[in-house]
Amino acid sequence: MIILETKNLRKHFDGVYAVDDLSIRIEKGEITSIIGPNGSGKTTLINALSGMLDIDGGLVVIEESEKLSKIKPHRVASFGLTRTFQNIRLFEQMTALDNILVVVTDRRVFKAVFETHQILHLKKAEEVLTRVGLWEKRDQLAVNLSYGQRKLLEIARALAMDAKIYLLDEPFAGLSPEMVKVISGIIRELKTQSKTVVLIEHDMGLIRELSDYVFVMDSGKLLAEGQPEEVLQKREVIEAYLGD
Amino acid sequence: MIDYFVHISILFSIYAILSLSLNLVVGYAGLVSVAQAAFYGIGAYTTAILTATLGFNFFISVIVGILVAAILGFLAGLVFSKFRGDYYVLATLAFNVIIHSIFINWYDLTHGPLGIPGVLKPNLFGLSFSPNLLFFILSLLFLVAVYGVSRFIAQSSFGRALKAIREDESALKVFGYKTSVFKLSVFVASASLAAVAGSLFASYLTFVDPSTFLLTESIFILSIIILGGLGNLKGSLLGAFILVLLPELLRFVGLPDGIAAQIRQALYGLILIVLMLYRPQGLMGEYKL
Amino acid sequence: MNIVPQLIINSLIAGSIYSLVALGFNLIYGATRFFNLAHGIMAASGGYVVFFGVKTLGWNLYISIILSVFVVGCIGYLLDRFIYKPLRRKKSSNMVMLVASLGVFSTIQALLAILFSTQFHSLRAISPEQTFNLFGGIITQTQIIIILVSLISTISLHLFLSRTRFGKAVKAVSDDEEVSRIVGINTDRIIGATFFIGSSIAALAGILVGLDTGIEPTIGMSLLLKGVVAAIIGGIGNIFGGTLGAFLLGFVENFSVWKISSDWKEAITFTLLVSFLIFRPQGLMNKRK
Repeated sequence: MIILETKNLRKHFDGVYAVDDLSIRIEKGEITSIIGPNGSGKTTLINALSGMLDIDGGLVVIEESEKLSKIKPHRVASFGLTRTFQNIRLFEQMTALDNILVVVTDRRVFKAVFETHQILHLKKAEEVLTRVGLWEKRDQLAVNLSYGQRKLLEIARALAMDAKIYLLDEPFAGLSPEMVKVISGIIRELKTQSKTVVLIEHDMGLIRELSDYVFVMDSGKLLAEGQPEEVLQKREVIEAYLGD
Repeated sequence: MIDYFVHISILFSIYAILSLSLNLVVGYAGLVSVAQAAFYGIGAYTTAILTATLGFNFFISVIVGILVAAILGFLAGLVFSKFRGDYYVLATLAFNVIIHSIFINWYDLTHGPLGIPGVLKPNLFGLSFSPNLLFFILSLLFLVAVYGVSRFIAQSSFGRALKAIREDESALKVFGYKTSVFKLSVFVASASLAAVAGSLFASYLTFVDPSTFLLTESIFILSIIILGGLGNLKGSLLGAFILVLLPELLRFVGLPDGIAAQIRQALYGLILIVLMLYRPQGLMGEYKL
Repeated sequence: MNIVPQLIINSLIAGSIYSLVALGFNLIYGATRFFNLAHGIMAASGGYVVFFGVKTLGWNLYISIILSVFVVGCIGYLLDRFIYKPLRRKKSSNMVMLVASLGVFSTIQALLAILFSTQFHSLRAISPEQTFNLFGGIITQTQIIIILVSLISTISLHLFLSRTRFGKAVKAVSDDEEVSRIVGINTDRIIGATFFIGSSIAALAGILVGLDTGIEPTIGMSLLLKGVVAAIIGGIGNIFGGTLGAFLLGFVENFSVWKISSDWKEAITFTLLVSFLIFRPQGLMNKRK
C-alpha cells in the first residue's frame, strides 16, 4: 500500500522553488531514503509533510485516502505521522523524561489538567528511554545532554508517538559508531513492526544497508529513484553530488 | 505595630495571588503579558459595584468577578493567541489600556476617576471579616487556595504541555497539540485568579478607583515574578514578599509618603533592569526569558 | 461652525506629534529589532528638561530646547551603552530587551515624578502665542511649528539615511546586523547613534507637546503608545510607514471623537492597533514576511 504520496508538490521561498513538482510514493512497511546534495529540498519536504511549512502547490496523499493540499501541524499526528529534526528541536529546559511524557499524555486540556493515567504514561516513557539507553539520564535537562544523547532523545520522542510513519531527518549526523548501531537497530525494529520509515541521510553506507528504496532530490526536483544499489551508481546522481 | 504587620501581610497576600496567576502565563507558558492589572481591576470593580452599589455579599461578588474576568480573558485571549512573542506583549498592553480607559470613562458604571467607595467587607453567615486580623486570615486562606490551584495546574500534564509550548511551540504542534487552546486556557485561568486578588483588594480598602490599575501595576507584577523566578511558584511568593516589604522598609528610613510610591516604582524598574542584565532567571527560577 | 476643518487641523497636529515619536521608535527598531518601550519616556524627558531650563534656571527657551534635545539624545545613547549593548553581547532575546526597556521606563518615569512632581506643567506661557484662521478652523503658531518640525524631521531623516554614508550603514545594520559586522561596520557605534538620534527626535515630540498643552510624567506612556500604534499600522521599521500610520491614527482619533465621546480616544487607538495586528500585522507599507 502506498502509505504516503506526494503529487506535484511545490514549495517556494520568495520565488525560488525549494520543492519543485515532486511526485514520490512511499510504500508501507519499507525503509525509504531521500538523498541529495545540500539544498536539494529534503528538509523542506519533511517540513511541508509535517505541516510546518505551507504547501504552495500539489497534494499529499495519506494511506491512499486522505488527499491534502493544506496540512495543519497539529493534525499531523492524527494521520500517524511523526518526525525528528535535523537541527534538534527538543524542549530544552525540561527533563528528558518530561520531553517524552509531554508527547505521551492526553492532548485535551481537561484531561491534561486532571490526569489519571500517570503510571501508564511513565511506563511508556521508561520503555522508549530504555530503548535508546537514556533512562538513567531521565532527570537531566535536555539542554545538558551530550549531542549524541540529544539525538537519541529525539528518536525516543518519536518512538513514544507509536506512529505509523516516521520521518527522520538526518538521525545519524555526528554520532559515534555505537550510537549509529543503536539507531539503525531501532529503524530495523520499526520495520519488523510494519512501521514505515522515511530517512534523510548522507551516509551512503547506511543508505545501502538500511534502505528498501531511494529517492534522489536535486534542486527541489526528483532526480532519480529505485533500489539503493542501482540508484547510487547512476551517473546523474554521482554528478549531482560532485557538482555540489 | 501589630496593625502594621497585619496590613503588610494582607498586601503581601494580594500580590502573592497576583504573581502566582501571572507566573502561570509567563513562567510556564512563556507568554509575557502586561494585562494582569486589567483583570485585577475587573475583580476589584466587580466586587465594588456588586457590594457597594447593589449590596451583594462579598463572596458572591468574588464568584461573579471570576466569571467576568474569565469571559473577558477568553475573548481577549482568543485575539492574543494568534500573536507571537513581542507582538503578544503589545496586544496585552493594548488590552490593559483599553480596560483602564473603561474604568475611567464609563462613568455610569464605575463613577470614573471618583471611584467607588463603601465596598463591603466580607461577611459569612454573620461572621464579619471587618477587623484586619480576620481579614488577613481570610486573605491568607485565599492565598493558600490559589497556591493550591496553581500548583495543581503546574504539576499536571497540562502544566508540562505549557512548558513545552514555552520551549518550542511549533515543534510541539507536530506532536498533536492544539497549542492555541492551551494558551487560551491558561490565560483564562490566570485572569480568574487575578480577579480574586482584585476582590480582596477592593474589600480591604473599601474603595476602588482607576489609578490602581494602570500599566505600571502590570509591570510591577511582572517584576515580582521575574525576581522570584519564572516557572517557580515558591519564587513568586518570595518575590512578592521582597517587593512588598522593600518599599515599607523605606518608610522607616523616613521618606515622605508622597514619593514613596514613586520610589517603589523606580526601585522595581531598576530591579527589572538588573535582573535582565545579570540574572534573568531570578532568585529561584528554572527558566530564563 | 463647520467642524470638519478644525478636525482636519487637529488630525494634522496629532499626526505630526505621533510621527515624531514613531520616527525614533522605528529607527531604533530597525537597527535593533526590539520594541523599545522606554521610548516614550524620552519624549517626556525632553519636555521636562526644557521646563527645568526655562522655569528653574531661567534660560532662554530656544537654548533650552536645543540643550534638551542634545541631553535626551545622550541619555538614549547611554541607556544603549550600559543596558542594551551588554544584553546584545549576551545574545539576549528580544523579549529580555523589551522587559529591560519596561524597567527603564518605570525607573525614569518615577524619577521624573520625584524631581518634578506628578503635577501637570505647562510650557504654554513661554511659547509663541498667535492664532490663525485656516479654512474655518483655528490653529496656533505653536501648532503650525509642530507640523513644520515634524515634516522637516521626517524629510531630513530620510535624506540622512539614504544619502549619507552613515545613513547607509544604519540601513545595513537594519537589514542584517551579523553581516554588517562582518563587512567591518562598527554596529555598536551605529546602534548607539540610532539611539541618540531616535531619542532626540522623541525629545522634540515631548517639547512640542509641552509647548502646545503641557506635560506630566504619564505623557511618556501615552506618547509611546501612540508612536507604537503608528509604527505598527504603518509598517514597523519603515520610516515613511511610521509617518503614514501616525497621520492615519491622528485622523481616526479625531474624526471618531466627532461621533463618539473623546473619553474613548485611547480605546479607539487600541482597537485600531489590535485590528491591524490581526488583519494586517505587517502594517501598511511592509510586505508580509
